[in-house]
Amino acid sequence: MAFVRRWKGTGVFLGTELRMTLHDPLAIASSALVEGILLVFVWVLARDLLPFALLGSLVYSLFLIGQYVLSEAAYIRIDHRLNEMYHASPLSPEAYFLGMASGIGIGYVPTTLALFVLALVVVPMTAAGFVAILGVLLAVWTISASIAYTISTLFKDMKAIWPWASLIANVLGVVPPVFYPLDRWPVEWRSLALVLPTSGGAALAEAAAGILPLAQDEVVLAATALGLEALVAFAFTVWWSHRSAREA
Amino acid sequence: MAGEAAMPRAGRILPAWGLIGWRWISRNPAAAIVPVLLPFLFLYFLRIISPPEYFPLAVAGAMLYTTQNVGSWCLMDAAVNRIELHLQELFVASPLGKVRYLFGVAISNLIPAVPAIVVQGILLALLMPVPLLTWAVLAGCIFVIWILFSAIGIAISTRILSQREVWPIGNLVFSVLGILAPIYYPLAILPPAWQAVARVLPSTYAAQLVQGSLGLIPITAEEMALDAVLLVVSAVIGIAVALSIYRWREP
Repeated sequence: MAFVRRWKGTGVFLGTELRMTLHDPLAIASSALVEGILLVFVWVLARDLLPFALLGSLVYSLFLIGQYVLSEAAYIRIDHRLNEMYHASPLSPEAYFLGMASGIGIGYVPTTLALFVLALVVVPMTAAGFVAILGVLLAVWTISASIAYTISTLFKDMKAIWPWASLIANVLGVVPPVFYPLDRWPVEWRSLALVLPTSGGAALAEAAAGILPLAQDEVVLAATALGLEALVAFAFTVWWSHRSAREA
Repeated sequence: MAGEAAMPRAGRILPAWGLIGWRWISRNPAAAIVPVLLPFLFLYFLRIISPPEYFPLAVAGAMLYTTQNVGSWCLMDAAVNRIELHLQELFVASPLGKVRYLFGVAISNLIPAVPAIVVQGILLALLMPVPLLTWAVLAGCIFVIWILFSAIGIAISTRILSQREVWPIGNLVFSVLGILAPIYYPLAILPPAWQAVARVLPSTYAAQLVQGSLGLIPITAEEMALDAVLLVVSAVIGIAVALSIYRWREP
């Protein structure tokens, strides 16, 4: 009963955030710009890498959800001061966080869906591979949304948020092997790439689609890292959402 | 009448805007680094995926792309001035005209881009010998692109209704313009339909000029002269269109 009460309101807040997101079609359209540019580069200059870039863009599109969660959580708290009202209401902090992350995640589904269709056209995959990729995407979304929500509570000024959110998203999305194959990344840093949520997720998705040969221990490393990061990030954010929930 | 005559008609408005640009860097290092970081991240990515012979071309392209992005920052700045801070009303009521306001915002947004352009220039010089004339061509192209895209950015900003539209519109317009023009790759390797669209964009002629003067694409002196003329003509048309949609008035 207590568990149900804790998460009560998630659905309603999900609906609120979904409506907010869908009211901004321009933002949805512009959400895939960096992926779009990198895909164009690959298509023009190295077409043989397109399958890797498409699966990477899929992972990256879910990772970017964190950027929107960060902006939205901060916008509601700093600009609108609405979270004081939410925290004074029966809505629990974790339902507020999960509802927001889910609503934004669903709102940006068109971008992910378009990339998924493109990926399916270019990379035929088995049902098991498809399910594995869905699992990877879910884990990446959980990590990115959780970390973003936590970070959003640390800011006091809206102007400072955009550069940091953009910095984290671009550096973790473009530098490690997300849009290009893992074998073009320095061998000595291969383990690092496998434990990062973006490149580890992309490597797992590519292995699941059968285009990237990964050793068994590498699959275990990447999958364990991704699963643990998702679990820890989510659990920490639920705890932190309580700790940081307060009226101004 | 005497008071009106004593009122200063000319001041140091452009250096003042330059100072605003400098303050932006000095007070917000992260905010200054992030916008110029993207062209470097693209260069890193292109270094990994593309044939090595295209890399100098990509570095020269990054200089044009960084300059082009100044337009996007102008859009954001001018929109914040108008919508959030209501400062444009003050400027409209002042002796500052709309063209000087445009140049002011353009200068203040060029300041954060200059370090990135200089670093890209050094990188280019390390990759290949760059003759003096080529630097002059590069500087000329950067100048034209800066004016044109700043004008486009500010003109669009005057039509934006809410703060929420600023980021997506700026990103959409400038990213699409940036990627359609062949600044990171040679025009010749693009599909014919894309080439046709690219030939409408001034950045295409800037890229052709820069790539040609660096000897990175086969192009004759006559073709380069034609590209220079087309760059200026298309930029003049672009600025004229931008000025026609540029709304300069109190609300």
